[in-house]
Amino acid sequence: MDVRAHVSMVFHLDKCIGCHTCSVACKNVWTDRPGAEYMWWNNVETKPGTGFPTKWEDQESYQGGWKLTGKNGKRELELRCQSKADSLLRLFYNPNQPGLDEYYEPWTYTYQDLFDAEEGDDQPTARPVSLVTGEYMDIEAGPNWDDDLSGSPIYAANDPNLDALSAEERAQLFEVERVSMMYLPRICNHCANPSCVASCPSGALYKRGEDGIVLINQEKCRGWRACVSACPYKKIYYNWKTGKSEKCILCYPRLETGQPPACFHSCVGRIRYMGVLLYDAERVPDAMKVEDSALVEAQRNTFLNPFDEKVCEAARQNGISEEYLDSARRSPVWKYVCEWKLALPLHVEYRTMPMLFYVPPLLPVMGKQSSGLYENQVDSFFSGIDAARLPVRYLASLFSAGNEQIVDKVLKKMMAVRYFKRSQELSDVDPDLVRAILREAETTPAEAEEIYAMTALPTVYERFVLPPIQREEAIEGTCAPDSCKGESGIGFVQIAKRGA
Amino acid sequence: MIDSLLFVALPYVAVALCVVASVFRYRSDRYSYSAMSSQFLEHRGLQWGSAPWHVGIILILAGHIAIFLFPRLSASLLSVRPVLLVIEGAGIAFSVLCVAGLLVLITRRLTSARVQAVTSTMDLIVLAVLLVQVVLGIAVAVHYRWGAAWGASTLAPYLRSLVRLQPDSSFVTDMPMLVKVHIVGAWVFIALIPFSRLVHIFSIPLSYLARAPQLVIWSNLRRAERALAMKVAHSRRLFVRGAAATVSGGVLLGAGVLDKLARFFHGPALSDSQQAEVMESRLERIKSTVEQRELELERLKSDFIRIGTLEELDSKKGRYFTDYEMRPALAFRGDDGMPLLISAKCTHLGCTVASDVSDDGKILCPCHISWFDVRTGAPDPGSPARAPLPHLDWVLMNSEGAIVARRMPDGGTAKEEADLAGTSVYIAKRRGEVA
Repeated sequence: MDVRAHVSMVFHLDKCIGCHTCSVACKNVWTDRPGAEYMWWNNVETKPGTGFPTKWEDQESYQGGWKLTGKNGKRELELRCQSKADSLLRLFYNPNQPGLDEYYEPWTYTYQDLFDAEEGDDQPTARPVSLVTGEYMDIEAGPNWDDDLSGSPIYAANDPNLDALSAEERAQLFEVERVSMMYLPRICNHCANPSCVASCPSGALYKRGEDGIVLINQEKCRGWRACVSACPYKKIYYNWKTGKSEKCILCYPRLETGQPPACFHSCVGRIRYMGVLLYDAERVPDAMKVEDSALVEAQRNTFLNPFDEKVCEAARQNGISEEYLDSARRSPVWKYVCEWKLALPLHVEYRTMPMLFYVPPLLPVMGKQSSGLYENQVDSFFSGIDAARLPVRYLASLFSAGNEQIVDKVLKKMMAVRYFKRSQELSDVDPDLVRAILREAETTPAEAEEIYAMTALPTVYERFVLPPIQREEAIEGTCAPDSCKGESGIGFVQIAKRGA
Repeated sequence: MIDSLLFVALPYVAVALCVVASVFRYRSDRYSYSAMSSQFLEHRGLQWGSAPWHVGIILILAGHIAIFLFPRLSASLLSVRPVLLVIEGAGIAFSVLCVAGLLVLITRRLTSARVQAVTSTMDLIVLAVLLVQVVLGIAVAVHYRWGAAWGASTLAPYLRSLVRLQPDSSFVTDMPMLVKVHIVGAWVFIALIPFSRLVHIFSIPLSYLARAPQLVIWSNLRRAERALAMKVAHSRRLFVRGAAATVSGGVLLGAGVLDKLARFFHGPALSDSQQAEVMESRLERIKSTVEQRELELERLKSDFIRIGTLEELDSKKGRYFTDYEMRPALAFRGDDGMPLLISAKCTHLGCTVASDVSDDGKILCPCHISWFDVRTGAPDPGSPARAPLPHLDWVLMNSEGAIVARRMPDGGTAKEEADLAGTSVYIAKRRGEVA
């Protein structure tokens, strides 16, 4: 057992209001620089939709993630985008790298014209100018161009996840009156089996041992761009100005000073949770070699119970501190992912073992309007799930590699919690019925109460259980902090500029 | 002067600059080391430019380096005509690929607004130098054919002399202008590396081929040490395995060597005839060295070197001798009955010209089939050689040592009315020095 701690995340999609505050917080902190304007380390997509960059989920064209190959009956994981042999040829031209047009051309406006324009009959205008070439341009795309299903026939209809649906289901989904959508905020998943790290020819990408954050050493990066195509989530961006690749750093300078990342901190819907998960690094490679439908379960099985004394002992031996173990026991992520089994990884079939989990949105039709009155439909407790406006099959293709049972279980449990609370607060549901519902959802009143509390009422300290992190560990206790300046923490303070 | 500047000073300056500046840049500004790809901004042109260019230039450079590293092997390989044809053909094909790729790259740099946003002056300089260099290379290959063959014997020794720190520019000073400019271009290119995006040449990620897929780095020093210890334990296992293999291999190898050693001391001795053969070949080598030294000494001491009597010279079959610069030359009897001395060092690439005169009065350099007219020294039009073979000055002396005839600076003959029978032909040290 090789116990490692991982600072991991849960996004509760039922609470996401799609306000993009997280994206803007991130942009203002990290990517407001020349060459990085087009990057959105955090972005929020509307689903169904093609996302950012366009159709990032289409691995037929981007070739991201791992593929399972069976040689001599032995299953192996191979990078989908390159083998070691052709990795050198791809240095010259990478056929699967998205170009600027797959993202969007960043722009600003000639605001000064509003002040400098001569007096005339017409209002002065600020024309858009490209932040790349500095020339006037027509805006044709943006990072959230299909926000809130705008232009659905053009964008949403191209969503690769819709391939799982029948023509009829698609038609229902896009029927204007019943049009339905969800928001999907995305940051780097800080995968436990990252394909970007495995693809980097220079060895610049690495996983930080203490907390599992995936980082790019900017001094080692040579701009070969293999990671950009290898990451199936397209969360590595190439800075066209500096010639280096960049990615979400999970605000590690904030984490090291006890603050949650900017996008977590600014989240209006309070959908984001952060905490430690313990996992067994030895089990990771094999866990990702199972069938698609078993991947979610296999990933869960690599996580270790922080309440198990044996696990704690092995963790201590591996240098994981007592404080880390304590935060692992209080971790909301452990509860959502392993105890309650409500949070699921995004596109686990890419086999990178993402460490960001999503609680799928519950969008059932709970009632309908008839003769001017709104009526609850309680005849069948879970009929709402079957008639969910976003088909379960669609959610399954996002969160469980097509295994509908897993999504079904999650939705049932979430529904059961709602019925439980409704009967408690309003007493309009029969307690016996509630008990039956809870039983069918494989949960208990105590658990339902806990889920409710963590979903609806958590304090900031319950949402973000950050371990007392690296900073004091990185600096050896024996030497004075003054003498370690520049050797740990945020040491790279050179101004980013383009090399010759 | 200019030659030693360009072919001795420039190479050392360029390489020193390249090494020192690259290391300095790596240590002080590692961040600036990058391939600087612009595929993100413009990919179509890059696809048809970058891939052909890189594939072509890597193969071409590999060929250059192979000939430099293994000149004898490549010379013997390339003496087989089909091999030479294939290598030269491939060289031309790949360099044309390079030029095509380069032209695409230059075009996109000059036409795409997005690419221009990331184009520096140095980028343009680099592209220009590369284009000039590759075009020159093609021109040399087309103009002075079979470069793969003569490069091994003329350019490889030049580079070797540079590497051995005993620079000898004479290997290249005789070269045609095109070749010289190509060589200078190469040194300029090397000097440009640290100051341009060319530094990415040093970043070829070969280590990736042998790397484990995942990379975990611990910032906690105690944990890092532990991870290191685990790694060491693993590598210790690998070491033991490797050592076992090495030892068993070594035992086998040792047994073989010991066997050879034992036979050397206790095995059957060479037979008398074999020993005589070895001795003879050694003697032969010593003798030829002595001859060479004697010739050199003679040329140092005396103002005239005897070639033979006038009667011994023939108009159809030349007589080889070595001139004052220790170069081969041929002696004939001219139509006027006077001696005709001509250099036998081919003006193309320095092979020795054959001594037989053809029916139309021409001698042949067998290396690349250049015919030279004996009387004028001029090469046939269409021959690889362009310059004529120069004639050498001679004097005729009678048995008393008096000069009875000599070649004049204008090529004519100054003759005293005397009997030429029994006189001997001499070459004079240098024009003007002979009294």
